[in-house]
Amino acid sequence: MSAWIEVGHFAALAALVLTVVQLVAPLAGIGLGRPVWIRVGRQAAFGVLLLLTVACAGVMASFLNHDFSVGYVAGHASRELPIFYLATALWGGHEGSLLLWVWLLSLFAAVAAWRHWSTHPLSMPWVLAILGATVLGFLLLVLFLSSPFERLFPPPADGRDLNPLLQDPGMVFHPPFLYLGYVGFAVPYAFAMAALITGQTGGEWILATRRWTLFAWAMLTIGIVFGAYWAYYELGWGGYWAWDPVENASFMPWLTATAFFHSVMVQERRGLFRTWNLFLIITTFALSLLGTFLVRSGVLSSVHAFATDPGRGVFILVFMTVILLFSFGLLTLRADRLKGEGQGRLENPLCRESAFLFNNLFLVVGALTVLLGTLFPLAVETLTDSKVSVGPPYFNQVFIPIMLGMLLLMGVGPILPWRRTPAGTLRRRFLIPGLVALAGLGGGWILGIGHPYGLAALALCLLVLSTHLDDLWQGTRARMRRDGAGALSALGRLVRRDKRRYGGLLTHLGLLVMVAGFIGSGLFQEERDLILQPGESTRIGEWRLTFTAMGSAARHNWVADEALVRAERGSLVLELRPQKRVYNTGRSQPTTEAAIHTTWLEDLYVVIGDPVGETGRAFRIYRNPLVAWVWWGSGIMGLGVLLALFQGRRLSRTRAVVA
Amino acid sequence: MTILHNKRLLLILTLLVVVGALLALVFTSFTDALVYFHTPTEIQAASSRLDGKKIRIGGMVQAGSLHKTPDTLQVAFLVTDGSSQLPVTYEGMLPDLFREGQGVVVEGTWRHGQPFQAATVLAKHSEDYMPVEMTEAGIEKARQSILKTLQ
Repeated sequence: MSAWIEVGHFAALAALVLTVVQLVAPLAGIGLGRPVWIRVGRQAAFGVLLLLTVACAGVMASFLNHDFSVGYVAGHASRELPIFYLATALWGGHEGSLLLWVWLLSLFAAVAAWRHWSTHPLSMPWVLAILGATVLGFLLLVLFLSSPFERLFPPPADGRDLNPLLQDPGMVFHPPFLYLGYVGFAVPYAFAMAALITGQTGGEWILATRRWTLFAWAMLTIGIVFGAYWAYYELGWGGYWAWDPVENASFMPWLTATAFFHSVMVQERRGLFRTWNLFLIITTFALSLLGTFLVRSGVLSSVHAFATDPGRGVFILVFMTVILLFSFGLLTLRADRLKGEGQGRLENPLCRESAFLFNNLFLVVGALTVLLGTLFPLAVETLTDSKVSVGPPYFNQVFIPIMLGMLLLMGVGPILPWRRTPAGTLRRRFLIPGLVALAGLGGGWILGIGHPYGLAALALCLLVLSTHLDDLWQGTRARMRRDGAGALSALGRLVRRDKRRYGGLLTHLGLLVMVAGFIGSGLFQEERDLILQPGESTRIGEWRLTFTAMGSAARHNWVADEALVRAERGSLVLELRPQKRVYNTGRSQPTTEAAIHTTWLEDLYVVIGDPVGETGRAFRIYRNPLVAWVWWGSGIMGLGVLLALFQGRRLSRTRAVVA
Repeated sequence: MTILHNKRLLLILTLLVVVGALLALVFTSFTDALVYFHTPTEIQAASSRLDGKKIRIGGMVQAGSLHKTPDTLQVAFLVTDGSSQLPVTYEGMLPDLFREGQGVVVEGTWRHGQPFQAATVLAKHSEDYMPVEMTEAGIEKARQSILKTLQ
């Protein structure tokens, strides 16, 4: 029974040896002029994937077999844990998550070796070696400093169980999506490095990895929003984003990746920003690594706890340093090749490329803001005796203006022409959207939105919406005239012609929906803490809530106190059942299960607290306007990326020729 | 050519103004938002200096000190680091893991000469993940001194 873990462990060790082959063989192939060695490196990449799959299967099988002689299994499962969570507890803790990370990396390395083999023969050896080196680094960490394969003797009779907060579908889906995002950036990074090494400093690496970048970005977006949604319904504090270091860690690479795939368009079109794009992809990958390490090393819970396990800390610091020195060192060495090939300069404040420049500025300052707020407390604690925390007010104060600036750019950027904007175009394209935005400002004021940020956001959202719809309409109309087609089929043809552009615009609209959610739930949330006796009612918004009685509920691994709350609005009557759960095994901590009723305009969110007096009960009730728009918006963004992913490479090539 | 130059100049100026404004925003917000962490002992030494500042206090909830005002959400308790104690009041729902004898971090504005009114109470999140301050010396010291009194 416990043979599984040993098979897995052995496979992981064998994979370690094979990654060295994947790293060395292609380089030897180039050095000795023996292409067959490069082929060996490719086969090694496939072998590593196979072996790491066995390693993951070994850990998973140990969970399914309740093999508590495995330390990791004993720490994150119990006999009562439902099979659904048993199978996915692999990524319920540090060690297993890192194994999942390195497995995904080996998967992507193998896919890259398979798909790009014949199309990118020059870069391939370097891509294999760089991805091999990254897998090697992570495998060393997994095997020797953070091993999920370690055995306990004597084995305990039962495990400590999975933390109840993690016994949720959110845990099953959130980490893998996040890691798909983090790891996905490794491939564009490897191609960028390969381009620098081989001296092909044009835009080939960007075209080659366009789909990888989009895919990674989409996964990261879904992962982040999934995490936010999970926090929203599971943690019971009525919000979804707390600027917690763990959240920030995933947000930083998202910001720089967003900057990256906007600024690559300037390189494709005008040949500008070459060094900058390389800088951005390196930074994105480095921040992905930083994110993994911050969350998975324990450094966040305490610098001191981290320092008690110096092996892991030192390894991680050395690994990060090596990658940063290698990447930025290479960038500096090759800086001469990157210069002088650009087609002209950026001359004009009002053109598409300038809009991209400002977009990048805002996103990178945003990433710096988050980095400062996340790492500063760690630095203070390491260097001095005092401890400090940076609260949400800092992030909100900085991010709301940044978001408004981004909205403004999003409103004007996509319809500004490249190079320069003639005054006539400006008037023609912005007169109506500008008026709509002003009308929104006035309308919002009349409707009683007093908050200046709320008003500004409303006006800017309307600006974005009207410029985007106008752009779509202009394109459709031109096509209707030219082809004599109906509106719908013209629209369909328009979108099919340039899926990348319209995918991008759809993503913008998705973000717009999310922004509406941020503003609604951020500025207009209502919260109430109160005590209710059975039979008593309270009001929040248009809802009337009555605490009917206390009940109880149970499943095979938990019992709960459950309040029955009747919610009425007009003729609509609902029964809400917020709970306080206690899981049977090991950990006696109660967990809060909020009762949430979602409508398209608002969420009603009810949490119960401790008993008060004989029969009373503490309640916390929230009315969260538009919060569901955050989740829907992210779905629309996902669809936009999907559309853009279907764009073949043909268009980019013809465009490059035209430009 | 002059027009071209002027435009480029305009672009650079706009860029500088925007960067300047953003960085100014970051740094002014940053210094305002720093919340320092103190143990009850440190606070007693620096009470007047901290007046009006937003701070975090960490320690253990003194066993037997939790007092709930009947029929309200008002609670009062003592936070101890082993050598000194600090009275704290709070109104609202306490976190799930708030217990006597367990670690706690409270945040609020310090008023010299008045009991500390916490705006936020953070309890140990779980065995694996906890607020940064929870593993701090204050709590470890408290645990040790309590063990000592037991011996």
